[in-house]
Amino acid sequence: MKWVENSFFDHLDKFASSLGFENYEIAIPLSMVPWASPQDRDIFIMSITGAEVKGGTPDTFKYAEAK
Amino acid sequence: MVSGGFRPKASQNNPAKVSATGGDGQSGRFVAEKFAKATQLRPSGFAQGENTAMAQQISEGGNVATTASAANPQPRMSADVMNSFMSEIVPIDAEPTEYLPISDGVDVGRGRGSDVISPRLTSAINQSEGIDIIKRYLPDIMNATRLPGAPDSYKRFANYLKAQIL
Repeated sequence: MKWVENSFFDHLDKFASSLGFENYEIAIPLSMVPWASPQDRDIFIMSITGAEVKGGTPDTFKYAEAK
Repeated sequence: MVSGGFRPKASQNNPAKVSATGGDGQSGRFVAEKFAKATQLRPSGFAQGENTAMAQQISEGGNVATTASAANPQPRMSADVMNSFMSEIVPIDAEPTEYLPISDGVDVGRGRGSDVISPRLTSAINQSEGIDIIKRYLPDIMNATRLPGAPDSYKRFANYLKAQIL
């Protein structure tokens, strides 16, 4: 089993990193939303934060798989 | 005994007992009762037509005494209770919520911060609910940190949650 994009943990990484760790009470429920795609989720995050999405990127995952 | 058939002496066949409103007189009484009840139920208690005259008199400045409860409301709530309700009501000239950003009320992004949220929603009870959320999901979140490819940002977040309950 490996880290999968567009999963609950991936969503949690993006929401927690973008909204701030202290807002975990918001990040956890938002991570449970069945987002249609990572792009839809990222657009939502950018709309509420007004900034780029933070957290691990797909490149990060590929690098880990290569290792 | 034979039942049914035409009975010439029956009351419904006696022309002297037929009232103007039909039937053998019951309908006439029915209409009279309805009229009396309708008059009784009129808000002003006046017969039809008198309301119009009274309304005209009011519009012309006449002072008509009334015992209606709507005109003489009785105070049933204390001022403190009323003020507590009024504090929750948004004034009419307040900024429409549809123009506020989606992040309004959160300490992230555009809009107002969490200081605009009612203290009831940020009480210690809700903070303990946050701890409950961490306790519920932390085991799975910690297990996911061992997955190959787990980003460092995710691992830092898992450590942050762990520190909250220690």
